[in-house]
Amino acid sequence: MATAEIPYQETVPLHHPKTWIGKYVFSQDHKVIAVQYGITAMAVGLVALFLSDLMRIQIAFPEFMDWFVEDYYYQSITMHGMIMVIYLLTAFLLGAFGNFTVPLMCGARDMVFPFVNMLSYWVYLLSVIILLLAYIPGLGGPTGAGWTLYPPQTITEGTPGADWGITTMLASLAVFIVAFTMGGLNYITTILQARTRGMSLMRLPLTVWGIFVATFLGLLAFPALFVSAIMMILDLKIGTSFFMPAIVSLGQTLAYDGGQPLLFQHLFWFFGHPEVYIVALPAFGVVSDLISVHARKNIFGYRLMVWALVFIGILSFIVWAHHMFVAGMHPYFGFFFATTTLIIAVPTAIKVYNWILTLWKANIKLTVPMLYALSFVLTFIMGGITGLFLGNVIIDIPLSDTYFVVAHFHMVMGVSPILAIFGGIYHWYPKLTGRMLNDTLGKWHFWITFLGTYIIYFPMHYLGFIGVPRRYYENFDSSFYPASAQLLNEVITYTALVVGVAQLLYVINLVHSYFYGKPAGDNPWGANSLEWCTPETPPGHGNWGDRLPTVHRWAYDYNVPGSEKDFIPQTVPQGQTS
Amino acid sequence: MAEVGQQHPIKVYFLVWALLFVFSIASYLVDFFAFEGHLRWFLIVVFMLLKAGFIVAVFMHMKWERPTLITAILVPPLVLIVLMYLLAYEADYAWASRIVYFGDVVEPIPEPPPSHAAVPH
Amino acid sequence: MAEAAETDQGPLTTIVNDWSSDVTTFKAVPWGKAMMWIFLLSDTFIFTSFLVSYMAVRMTQTDAWPEPSEVFSLEAFGVPVPLLLIAIMTFILITSSGTMAMAVNMGYRKRKVAVFWLMFATALLGASFVGMQAFEWTKLIGDEGVRAWQNPMGAAQFGSFFFMITGFHGLHVSAGVVYLLIVAFRVLRGKYDNTSFEIVEITGLYWHFVDLVWVFIFAFFYLW
Ligand code: HEM
Ligand SMILES: [Cu+2]
Repeated sequence: MATAEIPYQETVPLHHPKTWIGKYVFSQDHKVIAVQYGITAMAVGLVALFLSDLMRIQIAFPEFMDWFVEDYYYQSITMHGMIMVIYLLTAFLLGAFGNFTVPLMCGARDMVFPFVNMLSYWVYLLSVIILLLAYIPGLGGPTGAGWTLYPPQTITEGTPGADWGITTMLASLAVFIVAFTMGGLNYITTILQARTRGMSLMRLPLTVWGIFVATFLGLLAFPALFVSAIMMILDLKIGTSFFMPAIVSLGQTLAYDGGQPLLFQHLFWFFGHPEVYIVALPAFGVVSDLISVHARKNIFGYRLMVWALVFIGILSFIVWAHHMFVAGMHPYFGFFFATTTLIIAVPTAIKVYNWILTLWKANIKLTVPMLYALSFVLTFIMGGITGLFLGNVIIDIPLSDTYFVVAHFHMVMGVSPILAIFGGIYHWYPKLTGRMLNDTLGKWHFWITFLGTYIIYFPMHYLGFIGVPRRYYENFDSSFYPASAQLLNEVITYTALVVGVAQLLYVINLVHSYFYGKPAGDNPWGANSLEWCTPETPPGHGNWGDRLPTVHRWAYDYNVPGSEKDFIPQTVPQGQTS
Repeated sequence: MAEVGQQHPIKVYFLVWALLFVFSIASYLVDFFAFEGHLRWFLIVVFMLLKAGFIVAVFMHMKWERPTLITAILVPPLVLIVLMYLLAYEADYAWASRIVYFGDVVEPIPEPPPSHAAVPH
Repeated sequence: MAEAAETDQGPLTTIVNDWSSDVTTFKAVPWGKAMMWIFLLSDTFIFTSFLVSYMAVRMTQTDAWPEPSEVFSLEAFGVPVPLLLIAIMTFILITSSGTMAMAVNMGYRKRKVAVFWLMFATALLGASFVGMQAFEWTKLIGDEGVRAWQNPMGAAQFGSFFFMITGFHGLHVSAGVVYLLIVAFRVLRGKYDNTSFEIVEITGLYWHFVDLVWVFIFAFFYLW
């Protein structure tokens, strides 16, 4: 495989920062940028977590917090959902994991355009700041439209934050998209054009594949959100009627006329569904690698795993209207979109089978990353199966806008990617810092989080079946609302509080281990992929010393018969074993 | 990156340049002579695609790129055709609903305006 | 990847080989160029989303949609000629694409001064395009009374989409003019003397893309 082609990076000098600021603040080093992305994303994530606990308290004990009025509830829902999906998951999986793993796993010195990559982070930070500007007192607070931001309600009076809040939200999204594009172009170009000798695409670890396909989806899907954000801002600020039909609101006929609200939903979900996979695919990739490394076995059906990622990516662009079954779209669309949606289940199921077959008869090590990876598979199966329900129009119609949907999407795109992120952090932290995370704390954190999320989300399916609607500030006295539901809600809330607090264990672990953790050595897990072959740990600037590594094999040679160790790194020539 | 570079005879550029003018004039004439209906749409789209094709193929050098780059760039936009087709399909339905529920004339449903004729069903 | 073997390969084999090879997937494509192409792909999705939205709103419209060839006609020698200004703008943009293509060509021949003047001319043409667009906007706003939120001739969305889409395209052109000028002056100052002139080609890709978008806007906005 190794060709005569010389990696371009070996022929050009690397930019070397001279000042402390250049090294750690305005750094162009992909590892530093990854950490910056990661810390920022986790910080906003904690805000979103806090908001969710407030909502939970309100749901279970409506009398408990007098000051938490309806508007606050809706604003919290919106900020919670948007932060989790965009500013935490997307930013973490692509911004942090993408930045950290792509150059290391491809055998590159850095991203292809480190300066643009650095800008990407700072623009992302700007988008977070704009988002939080919504909380400036006296301006009406953030928007309360729900993270789907459907017009007309989003920008008509009566919705919280219908003026200032929605403006900052849309502006922040637009800025985020710019940031994402700068980063995304880098990841794609690095993966395609800056691999090292011998590193063919089919030798890349699945993590990189997941990030690659997800980034591609992002570059093609975010435009639809960008465009709809622009159009909505124009509707709001200068009174165009792109999305706004003629409306009588609060007794007044508004100046709008002739717009098409359904168009927004189409654009939003043309972005929104691929977005689901933007957070799912990198998680798939990370989990595949964790399972293989910690089960000491090659991943089952590597090629099929790659193709499944690619097919899921393609299909995700033609299923969007399964979110709109009750929106009043063209009646024929239900059939088309239900069909395409169910077809996606095929490549997805392939991936699940392959994870399970990888585990079959493997030498499973129940390390903390592995626990997270296993729980990911379980949770993802849960959420995936309810997705099959919801993909059928006739089942979706009664379940729409109930807690069943909340349970589904939290399982599948809330909890699962979060579990994969935790797994990935526990796995790569030693490479990043040179120290191991604390095992005991990690296990406590894992069990509380994992069991907790099941106690939180599993009963929500049942709540959905009995018709408890989603996004209601209070449904205490409704006649259809049985006492058992109330009891469940209380249990969920207590658990949510515990899970929320338990995340502190993890933060403590991150900080504490940075200073006092066990020294990790170069390759604590006995893993094969390139990031474990760096000459230094943590990898220095430029990653590889003088010469880029040469790759001779895929990343999954574990327990190969005849080799004395149970793993053979990618840099070991064919025919040799270590 | 060794032998990078796109060197092609200048003649080709002039030829395409001229062709673009021709197609622009042609599509302009479609409007000038007020062709209507399917013929109008057919001509407009054909000239549009010809122009786009020549710009991409020659000016942007796609013609001389390896098939790898060509397919990687030209295939993904196909999903946009699905979006366009479905939204056009739905637009007729939405338009009819508006007439039925909000229009001044309730019965009979009027013919769609000519622009709607262009949408395939 | 021997060159000789390549010539008798079918395109499919080349594709498979390239995707399965190491180091680079797009052979002999510099990083910047690959990145520009992928960016343009993303930008295609932006413009298509705009145009598809325009289509969806226009087709669901129950109010009258103004006849663009009348709205955009211009008096020449006392007779109104439909779409005259648009025709001129189209020709200007095509011409600028031509000069840009020549600049790229000269770049690979390392003829610095020629590159500079051709890029400079391209930028000038681009700037005059933006100028004419400003004129067109003024005319539409002043004479016809069209606003982004209202339109005396029928559906308000006519003005909304017109200003939004041509405005967004105009922004692309303006950004392109700046980009062109920066690169042109850098070329002249000899910044790229020791490297290849691929930057000119990359700038060219962007510029042709802007022209390409105009082809679609022209067809869908002015001729529909
Ligand atoms: C322990 C952690 C979490 C708790 C307790 C929680 C709780 C909630 C609650 C109570 C709602 C409002 C449901 C309604 O009334 O409709 C909600 C909505 C939502 N959550 Fe979470 N959540 C958590 C984690 C996450 C994560 C990790 C994600 C990432 C994808 C996420 C994404 C969303 C989304 C997208 C919505 C919908 C927002 C909307 O309706 O606009 N959540 N969550
Ligand atoms: Cu979906």
